[in-house]
Amino acid sequence: MIGRGQVKFRDIVKMHGEFAALKGVNFDIEPGEFFALLGPSGSGKSTTLRILAGLDAPTAGHVFIDDKDVTSTDARDRDIAMVFQSYALYPHMTVAENIAFPLEMARLPKASIGPAVQDAARKVKIEHLLDRKPGQLSGGQQQRCALARAIVRKARLFLLDEPLSNLDAKLRLETRAELKKLQRSLGVTAVYVTHDQEEAMTLADRMAVFMAGEIQQVGTPAEVFTQPNSIDIAGFIGNPPMNLVPAHYTNGDIIVAGRRLKTAADLAGEREVIAGLRPSALRISPDGLNARVDLVEDLGDTAVLDLNCSGTTMRMRVGDHDVPREGDTICVTARPQDIHLFDPTTRKRL
Amino acid sequence: MGASAIASAETGSHGASADFGHALAQRERRFAAALLAPAFLALLATTTFPLIFLVWTSTFRMNLAMPFMNGFVGFENYRVLLTDERFWSSLLISLVYTGATVALQVAIGLALALLVMDMKRGQGWFRLVAILPVVLSPAVVGMIWRTFMLAPDFGIVDFLAINAGLGSQNWLGDPTLAMVSVIAIHTWQWTPFAFMVLLASLASLPEDIYEAARLDRATAWQRFRRITLPLLRPAIVMVVIMRTMVALTAFAAIFTVTAGGPGTATEILNLYAYRKSFTELSIGYGAALAVALLFVTIIISGVLFVLRRAK
Ligand SMILES: Nc1ncnc2c1ncn2[C@@H]1O[C@H](COP(=O)(O)OP(=O)(O)O)[C@@H](O)[C@H]1O
Ligand SMILES: [Mg+2]
Repeated sequence: MIGRGQVKFRDIVKMHGEFAALKGVNFDIEPGEFFALLGPSGSGKSTTLRILAGLDAPTAGHVFIDDKDVTSTDARDRDIAMVFQSYALYPHMTVAENIAFPLEMARLPKASIGPAVQDAARKVKIEHLLDRKPGQLSGGQQQRCALARAIVRKARLFLLDEPLSNLDAKLRLETRAELKKLQRSLGVTAVYVTHDQEEAMTLADRMAVFMAGEIQQVGTPAEVFTQPNSIDIAGFIGNPPMNLVPAHYTNGDIIVAGRRLKTAADLAGEREVIAGLRPSALRISPDGLNARVDLVEDLGDTAVLDLNCSGTTMRMRVGDHDVPREGDTICVTARPQDIHLFDPTTRKRL
Repeated sequence: MGASAIASAETGSHGASADFGHALAQRERRFAAALLAPAFLALLATTTFPLIFLVWTSTFRMNLAMPFMNGFVGFENYRVLLTDERFWSSLLISLVYTGATVALQVAIGLALALLVMDMKRGQGWFRLVAILPVVLSPAVVGMIWRTFMLAPDFGIVDFLAINAGLGSQNWLGDPTLAMVSVIAIHTWQWTPFAFMVLLASLASLPEDIYEAARLDRATAWQRFRRITLPLLRPAIVMVVIMRTMVALTAFAAIFTVTAGGPGTATEILNLYAYRKSFTELSIGYGAALAVALLFVTIIISGVLFVLRRAK
């Protein structure tokens, strides 16, 4: 099993007429990795996954699986299993027949199909539903059936296109945890498409963040969270996302709303920047920016404040013990290492 | 105590509203019956009454050429029918004609529908052209085929046969070729119907399951056998039932092309009943033949509907 399911994307371009759905995408996936494709809706994640599966052909570029160029290999011959967002179950077959289908196509002997189906169904806890048709299953059960069909054949790659997006919130959390355990126990390479950053952060070993047909950043969830390399990613990752405020930079300090804050940057000179401050990185202190509390959103164990710092709006996350009241004026600051600096024109990290 | 009073009051009002609903339902039913009555009477007059009259007639000896022999004979016509070789042969011809035309319509219609589904361009035009034969009257279709297509030397089919090195054939004169010809004509006219129904059904199948099947490593043939065919089954059965009913009672096209000939080579049961009644003027026996055809049609449709229910 080790060494199977390595993926390389090289300069993949996908055009739909004049429209570029993918504008030159590059990434590598290591064997056994849980790799997430994260990005807003319409950013090209599904397109990437479909090209990897062989369901669509790229306009330009090359796809390698296990160091073999498979760009022009048909989906049939790529040895890939996929869970579709719509589940794509065969409506006229029972759950058992759905799960058995990939094995029958692989011409497995009849005697070994039954136990394999049972085994896959047990792994996703649907052994009691084997005689039902997909139309008689709930959304969560259909999703599990699709999962079982994908894992029953030991494919070298396991693709999932927003598999949890049609489930309700509670089921989504449960299934998310089970999915991760399942992938670990199978030791298979998984590529997971999602627009939900929380899913990507919790599931993925590494992730690629898509924006408008391009990958903006590849890295572990922690890297992407702590070192977002562009304004767009900074504004996309985190809940609530990072505060992005215009500031003036002079020799290590920034001036925001007339106040000076120390940063960890060691760039020389003066320039205009965009300063990024995570809501959780802001803290109340005797000296700092004066801010009026416009709104308090109490989430139980934490609260999110909408602050007005002489015209610029910022959000701040505080613990439940020191929540100011609406209309109060407070003083906020951030540690130097928590201040991210971005170039306003290139939108890249400085 | 208070609670039970409320409860009983509720059931009381419930009962009243049920009564009211009942009265309303009855009034609506009466109104619906009044609306339906004219259509129902017309239907009785145009279908049920002739049917009963047909069955009634079939119990008479009624020969317009020999009116002096006329009279009630009970089941005599049916007794004769069971030993009538021409009846059995026309029944066989009917079954061959029906089986062949329906099978061909479904097979060709399905093949065309699969082809057209894959067409990137010109689907609309193809549908428009394909539907044309259906809107023609079967009698007109028969005339067109007899004159333009099958006429010796000049007909398109014969012309093609000559050019293909088969030589000029007597398409409507040879018993076997005549049967092939009338089957081809019926198929030509009605395949578009099967095509349209199957195309609509095919277009409604979800696309993602075909992608799933590709990833599950099914070949194109396996995708057709294991996914397309089972999912099209209801539509195919529907087409078979509808086309079987029509083929069993086909008349106009055969009548204009061969009139059942040569000899009785293309004489389907319907045509035999017609010939008996209106050529040989044996109305009573013709009616018995028509009732036999009705009987066969009911049995076959019954079998098909049972098949449709079955898995
Ligand atoms: N067949 C198509 N024709 C035209 N545009 C398409 C087609 N498929 C996808 N697109 C466009 O490509 C972009 C990326 O789509 P997709 O990969 O599905 O996004 P997502 O990241 O939400 O999965 C979208 O803007 C979508 O509208
Ligand atoms: Mg998508």
